Amino acid sequence: MKKSRYSLLVAVTLLGGTMLTACGSGGNGGQSANGVTTIEFWAAPNPSQQAFWQEMAKEYATVNPDVKVNVSAIKESPSSEASIQAAIAGGNAPTIAENINRGFAAQLSNSKALVALDDLPQFKEIVESRNMTETIAPWEFADGHQYVLPIYSNPMLIGWRTDILKEIGYNEPPKTYSEVLDATKKLKAKYPDKYMWGKGADLADPTAWKRWFDFFLLYNAASDGNKFIEGQKFVADDKAGVETLTFVDDLRKANGILSQNATDPFENGVGVFTDIGPWTFDLWKTKYPELKYGENYTLTLPPVPDDMDPANAKTYADAKGLVIFNSAPEASKEAAAEFLKWVYSDENHDVAWFKQTNLPPARDDLNELEGFKQILAEKPELAPYAAAVSKGVPAMDNPKFNELQTLIGQEAFTKVIRGQIDPQTGWNNMKKAIEGELQ
Amino acid sequence: MINKQNNKLGWLFASPYIIFGLVFFLGPLLWSLYLSFTNWDLIAPTYDFVGMDNFKKAMHAPGVQASFWVTYKFMMLFVPLVIVMSLGVALVIQGLPKFKSVYLIGFFLPYLSSGVVASLIVQGFLSYNSPVNEFLRKTFGLNIDWLGTPLSALFIVGLILAWKFTGYYALILTSGLESIDKEVYEAAAIDGVTQGQRFWKITLPLLYPALYTTLILAFGVTFGIFTEVYQLTGGGPNFATNTWQMEIFNQAFTNLQAGYASAIAIMASIVTFISIFVIRKLLESWGKRNGWV
Repeated sequence: MKKSRYSLLVAVTLLGGTMLTACGSGGNGGQSANGVTTIEFWAAPNPSQQAFWQEMAKEYATVNPDVKVNVSAIKESPSSEASIQAAIAGGNAPTIAENINRGFAAQLSNSKALVALDDLPQFKEIVESRNMTETIAPWEFADGHQYVLPIYSNPMLIGWRTDILKEIGYNEPPKTYSEVLDATKKLKAKYPDKYMWGKGADLADPTAWKRWFDFFLLYNAASDGNKFIEGQKFVADDKAGVETLTFVDDLRKANGILSQNATDPFENGVGVFTDIGPWTFDLWKTKYPELKYGENYTLTLPPVPDDMDPANAKTYADAKGLVIFNSAPEASKEAAAEFLKWVYSDENHDVAWFKQTNLPPARDDLNELEGFKQILAEKPELAPYAAAVSKGVPAMDNPKFNELQTLIGQEAFTKVIRGQIDPQTGWNNMKKAIEGELQ
Repeated sequence: MINKQNNKLGWLFASPYIIFGLVFFLGPLLWSLYLSFTNWDLIAPTYDFVGMDNFKKAMHAPGVQASFWVTYKFMMLFVPLVIVMSLGVALVIQGLPKFKSVYLIGFFLPYLSSGVVASLIVQGFLSYNSPVNEFLRKTFGLNIDWLGTPLSALFIVGLILAWKFTGYYALILTSGLESIDKEVYEAAAIDGVTQGQRFWKITLPLLYPALYTTLILAFGVTFGIFTEVYQLTGGGPNFATNTWQMEIFNQAFTNLQAGYASAIAIMASIVTFISIFVIRKLLESWGKRNGWV
């Protein structure tokens, strides 16, 4: 009686297990029986980027019918990073993924999940034919390898509502800390409900990636692009860091920062400046068509301390690239390197990319090639980005970048924004916490 | 012979749930327990056993300590709110002459709604430049940072959850009210009881079984809060709304520390189990003390 009960339970369990196993995915793309090699390509979940890679895959199929490039969007449930992590853990990682920032690449390379691209025979040719020798140099990781092939590099710029500035007596945006504070006083006198830095709740949110678009924007400008972390060391410029936080604190004291949840505060004219990326403009075309570059807004590099040259200010570069996964079959990895070599051997592909996505390709000759010049003439709002590519400082490459950047917010930045700590103490606490995390 | 066959049939009918439980509950629980003693990120080809290190680290982490207390803060806010609201709805609906089920369905609908959508609507409603805040600023000179102030952020999330669960709990309580014999009320009316006495001396004691279930469910909800917090506050300001689920999510999917996140998940399970056990005992003793069970 007992025996048969157990046998039945075991049988049912095995049956269920078999059924569930059968539901699972089989294989992750390699060479099929008919000699066709498959590359699983995960594109950014952005329709224009996806469309670009689908076009590339289609074109490549005509050039090389032995290779099939399957382009699909990275799933964002719960986040694209988590989807990639789950895929690697489940043995279903793609061959190539784009939209990878340096921080996440550092996490992946630390876990031996990525192919060192500089070890590939095609790498040198890709870098040379794409004319990206200088652009890719700062992408080198602490171990001396290149794990990411940068696709685009967005130097983040500050958008200014010139219409509001004119109303308070400014014909051009303030460039230094003193000028910004002075403009804030005039703004508050005329419009008590408007704010100089009108970014909203992100400023008070300690989520790691948000620091790229506020703290690092100002810190890179104040420190002339001095690194924050190098390898496992905290190497940030203390003076520039405290100056950055002091500026934020002064702006807060002048009631010039909107750090509470607000609906598109810059677009709705509640805030005078905020960080703007080139992906914004297509959205504005439909949602805020009244916003016109040169008419009611303009773009500049971030403000700097009074003793620095605003024209040479550095900024944060929102830069992302491609990686090849170690777990992919050898044939797919080899085919992936050839595919990338083909894509980047033709500058027209980068021109098409820029036209479709507004994201400046990561190459040294962005302002020289005719194709790019034409696009910049058609979309003048992209010109400041193209001009500032060399001013962009990419994100840190530490595998603990999430924890480290969370500490910047938790210990210093968001506390200063809320007026809960003075800039010097905030900086000291943050430094101590980061050094503790790095040990 | 019949018994044997019945046994087999019983196991066969129970097997889908057994398999489901084994695959989706017991398996992940054991896997999580194993992971909690490692420093694995699910990606690296090798990893180390770190003993109790993850648990020790979690005990001192501000995020984990905050999640522990935040859960009880939500409990103190959400449970009384949702019980009063659902009981109110149930009593009103029970008193309706007809279309009771239509109204019940109406109140139940928020339970089926997406937490993400509800949160986004609330976010827009409470934004600095929303009509509500414009009105408050212009009329009373009030500028409230609803989601940036610890107490109001807790209150807003608690309120969304209460709105979502009121209809569901009202359904349970209505069925409890419906099961109370009408003759008891008639007898009480003849004896001249007031409305207050009627509620405290008859309705509440006889509703105790349904109320007990509702209370346990409501307490349980506070240990699993995620979507609303993720969408509205991200656990802030200064961890004021950082729940267990939020902390586990951040460690597992942002910092990619599967081992450490598993340790926090195990701690959360233990805290949940102990808390619910204690609450259950307290509710039972409350019922026994008053002679309701």
